[in-house]
Amino acid sequence: MAGKSGRTISAEPRGTVKKLLFSWESAMVLVFLGVILLGNVISPYYTLKNVFREMPKYLSEIFIMLAMGYILVLGDIDISVGSIVCLSATLACIADNAGLPFVLVVLICILTGLACGCLNGFIASHFTELPTMIITLGTQIIFRGIAEVSLGPGGSISLQNKDAIKLLSRKIGIIPVSFFVVLVFALIFIVVLGRTTFGRKLYAIGSNSTAAKYAGIDVQKIRWIVFTVAGTMAGVCALFFLASTYGASTTTGQGFEMEVIAMCVFGGIATTGGKGKLIGGFFAAFIIVCLRIALGQINMNTQLILVIIGAMLIVSVLIPAIGNALRLARKKAEKA
Amino acid sequence: MRRKTVSLLLAAAMMTSFAAAPVFAEEIETEEATQEEAEHVYTNAADGMTLAIVTKAAGNPYNEKEAEGFTEVVEGEGGTVVVQHPESATADAQIAVINSLISQGVDAIAVAANDTNALSAVLQEAMDEGIKILTLDSDVAPEDRATFCNQAGVQEVGQSLIDAVYDLTGGEGQYAILSATSQATNQNAWIEAMKAISEEDEKYASLDLVEVAYGDDEYQKSTDQTEALLQKYPDLKVICAPTTVGIAAAAKVLQDQKSEVVLTGLGLPSEMAEYIGDDEEHSCPYMFLWNPIDLGRLAAYTAIALVNETITGAIDDEFEAGDMESSPYTLTAVGDSEEFSEIILGPPFKFDPENIEEWKEVY
Repeated sequence: MAGKSGRTISAEPRGTVKKLLFSWESAMVLVFLGVILLGNVISPYYTLKNVFREMPKYLSEIFIMLAMGYILVLGDIDISVGSIVCLSATLACIADNAGLPFVLVVLICILTGLACGCLNGFIASHFTELPTMIITLGTQIIFRGIAEVSLGPGGSISLQNKDAIKLLSRKIGIIPVSFFVVLVFALIFIVVLGRTTFGRKLYAIGSNSTAAKYAGIDVQKIRWIVFTVAGTMAGVCALFFLASTYGASTTTGQGFEMEVIAMCVFGGIATTGGKGKLIGGFFAAFIIVCLRIALGQINMNTQLILVIIGAMLIVSVLIPAIGNALRLARKKAEKA
Repeated sequence: MRRKTVSLLLAAAMMTSFAAAPVFAEEIETEEATQEEAEHVYTNAADGMTLAIVTKAAGNPYNEKEAEGFTEVVEGEGGTVVVQHPESATADAQIAVINSLISQGVDAIAVAANDTNALSAVLQEAMDEGIKILTLDSDVAPEDRATFCNQAGVQEVGQSLIDAVYDLTGGEGQYAILSATSQATNQNAWIEAMKAISEEDEKYASLDLVEVAYGDDEYQKSTDQTEALLQKYPDLKVICAPTTVGIAAAAKVLQDQKSEVVLTGLGLPSEMAEYIGDDEEHSCPYMFLWNPIDLGRLAAYTAIALVNETITGAIDDEFEAGDMESSPYTLTAVGDSEEFSEIILGPPFKFDPENIEEWKEVY
């Protein structure tokens, strides 16, 4: 069922009701509801208030997940985003502690991300023979290196003036502001990928970049733009990260890249490009977040939680393969 | 009809297993309790309390011993204990765990902090919810907790370590420090104290600190850092590792390479026993530590006292810590502060070839 999930460039008829019901994305919605139910069963503390209260810590990663979805659809990968978060957060802290107005601090945080992403995109689009995995592995080390140098021997920095950043961790009722911001960004990213020519171009490039090029798509320009967007979103993530930790250290953002890639893949976006929908990744992200909160509340061993999430990821990528194998077996049986 | 019988049977089986489970658990508890009674005296002071301890990360043996001591006292005093090891040794991972403990509405949380400032928001939120916050092992900013259970005064540890370096180098020469992460609160404080002492006192003027390396409290990275130090500084005489992971890694490297460089620092006796000795076969002549089990016990008594409101965390508050040696404890000022307090467990303890055999069995 998941094998056909996501729109590909091949001109399939637009979704019938049946297709929609059996899509990977609707499976994600079901799993999401299942996780909420599970949370309510296993933990007496799994109230809406508590879940929203614990959520902001995990929300910041979703910003990157949205952009990572684009990159994966292109058939590329960006493993430098975690380091960009570290660098953006560090420079923002330094700027804030130097007494710059908060608007400027926000700008520095986001522009740092933009600049890093732009550099990734520049290299990726001008040296197309290099795999983006290698490019971003290099910049990952560079960005974190710059952050570590800026942090100095102490290895960490904290905001002296926390009042302004607290605006970002405010709540409307019981719902954190960051939740609404995530929703807005998610809506924009999902609509752009699914409903615009720009989005269709991404799928075209991801399916077959040579064909896309001959169809008149400026492949390299688009890749450059997408990497820049990813860097920018890492900057946004850094901003919200600061709102929950009031500071940065050498370990800030470590492993974020893998977590967001996991969310995307779990959500049905293929790392080979051209397949998958962002809404799947969006639900996958909330499945992981809500599951973590539920298991955390019953004091499950944190390592075991990681094992469970890893297992879910493996199972999710295996399901299409198993489905295919079964179908093949059935066909064989029919023939015989 | 048959289906009904089966379901009845199933239900009966389930009931028995539910009924049997608590009995089983109780039996174990009583057994443990009798064992404990031989060693410690408890007064049921934590009755009805849920007290949590958050360590730095799983797989840190020192932290696990603290949690053990904490658990022992809380359960001994009739309370419920929650032990949480974050998924990695970062403040970020601790925030998630503490958030969850707030949801659970525990009475007190004892934290061994991975970062001085990053936990501020979540700890403030916990205190707003009426949860008592204390730190042990490594502190946060003092306004974010009620009090801090300090395993040893920073000054005392710095002094012990620099004296050991002085002794082992013969009073002059190069030494290096192999620390945990670059933002580890207590390691940084001890290193600063060592530096300050050696600058102030002429006695240490001929000691030359060549580098502070960071093994991030990971065994492999600490091993690599030790090897790098040996390569970079051929005249190095002593490595001082004020972290249990670092010292164990360095001890193995030095002993395997039969290096001339000797080691001291802070280490777990059980992990370091095979490296401690005065001869050339061993890489570490002596080292220091305190008793993490006792630190955990002290944290538990402090948590109970905070929840009971015997103490508020103010300087000069006093409380009974069961049958612990230095009980009753008094809250002392942090540095020159007039507002913020800490509780010092006692002076660091020296482990040498004479006593290591006895202590390696303990922890």
